[in-house]
Amino acid sequence: MSMSSTTAGGAAAEDPVIAAAGLTPAGAKVSRNFDWVIVLIALFLVTGAFHLHYMLLAGDWDFWVDWKDRQFWPTVAPAAAICFPAAVQYFLWTFFRVPFGATLCIVALMLGEWINRVLGFHLWARFPYALIWPSLLIPSALFLDAVLLLTRNWLLTAIFGAWGFGLLFYPSNWVMLAAYHLPVEHMGQTTSVADMVGYTFPRSATPEYLRFIERGTLRTFGGHSSAVSAFFSAFLCMVIYIGWWFMGWAFSKMIWVANPLASYMGLKNSQQS
Amino acid sequence: MSTTTEYVQPKASAQEVGAAEGGASAWVRPATLGIVGLTVFYMLYRIYQGWAGWEYGLDSTAPEFQTYWMNLMYAQLIIVPALAIIWWGYLWFTRDTNLSALAPAEELRRYFVLLGLICVYTFAVYWGASYFAEQDGSWHQTVMRDTSFTPSHIGIFYLSFPVYISCGVAALIYSITRLPRFSRNISIPFVIAVAGPFMILPNVGFNEFGHAFWIMEEWFTAPLHWGFVVLGWTALGVFGLACQLCYGILDVMRRMNVWEGQELV
Repeated sequence: MSMSSTTAGGAAAEDPVIAAAGLTPAGAKVSRNFDWVIVLIALFLVTGAFHLHYMLLAGDWDFWVDWKDRQFWPTVAPAAAICFPAAVQYFLWTFFRVPFGATLCIVALMLGEWINRVLGFHLWARFPYALIWPSLLIPSALFLDAVLLLTRNWLLTAIFGAWGFGLLFYPSNWVMLAAYHLPVEHMGQTTSVADMVGYTFPRSATPEYLRFIERGTLRTFGGHSSAVSAFFSAFLCMVIYIGWWFMGWAFSKMIWVANPLASYMGLKNSQQS
Repeated sequence: MSTTTEYVQPKASAQEVGAAEGGASAWVRPATLGIVGLTVFYMLYRIYQGWAGWEYGLDSTAPEFQTYWMNLMYAQLIIVPALAIIWWGYLWFTRDTNLSALAPAEELRRYFVLLGLICVYTFAVYWGASYFAEQDGSWHQTVMRDTSFTPSHIGIFYLSFPVYISCGVAALIYSITRLPRFSRNISIPFVIAVAGPFMILPNVGFNEFGHAFWIMEEWFTAPLHWGFVVLGWTALGVFGLACQLCYGILDVMRRMNVWEGQELV
């Protein structure tokens, strides 16, 4: 199609991207407005729905530093966190070739979490930030997006990207967490700094037994327990990514059914048909 | 007779170009009003919670609890549904019954007003599903609950949820009553994106039943809460809705001669 002969609005679009899209200046204005409002909708929607999902599947590990253990936290948190990134990657990559679906989700999640850690946990429930910092997932999300961008293939992203998403979680957080795993002596007992913080700021509606979360032979498992958990989480992430990629596919279907209210709307002419 | 198979659009008139540019920014006003209005309102509510939560919200048998919290909840239960019914009624009774004669410029403007309303809806969802939901965790993991109507629950279940339901249903009614595509057929992704999060409110009944009879302590990842999770997933219906809106807007742009795209499939 010849751009110069068909461009409406009086002037050819000078931006090569807009020219390639066949947009006139007026069309480009409509397109940009659509972009802005969709960005806001996506940000609010993902922050709300993804945060609800994450807090109710991995929230306790995410809220409290003394819940950030070596067994369940590195297993559950990435597995719960990869769901929405996979679905949003499907939608943004398939329809718009936008390669930052995972990063968008995780940044929105972090934003929602930090707003409430400040206004809810700190300023209302009066807990110190040392006890309530959320897990860091941004490196995992960047890796997942990078693999999708480089491979342009969802299956390879599931195999390598989702695997890295799970594996990167524990090392990403280790810098912040390491100090809390140091031992301290308290009333003749050895405990970790994280547990010490938890004892100092009690959650009276959370029974004590729920905090002792390391079970089985984990404590005698050398230094490998967190690595074992991370690899298991990586496997879970691969499987969950595939499932949620197809969740994105299912929710992107444009399904219409005839409006049953049309006959009550008093529509004129052929509108009812 | 044309000898080419290329799709050639006539040039858009200056009037059509101006109408397209004006209509495209129609989302800004409802979105700004909704976002600023909800933010100011919820921040004031948060200040009230901060003051009255610790002062009068710890013992549901105290007379002060009745004064500062139960009366607030009764007011919410009356005012929010009343405003919603007025809003929905206004949208329904002022509907356009001559949609087949709708000018493309006006149709484009309505598409962007609808996007502004969806923006307000998702912002209201953010407050309910993100802010008030996690705030609920911060309160109930700290303070023993002795009632289903706690300072946190009165904010999340009986204020923020009804507010986002009001916004979502209003956006759905707007689309059905003002846009030809959405009046001829019902968008299933739109219905899912509104009805799924709506179902979170009835699910509160199951949540309170569970907390009252099974699990008094607060464990946020307990299976009792997973109904909220599954219903929250339905917000992803916005994916399909965004595609439908995209196609609708492209179709209007083509009819206004401000897009050179080919015929839509």
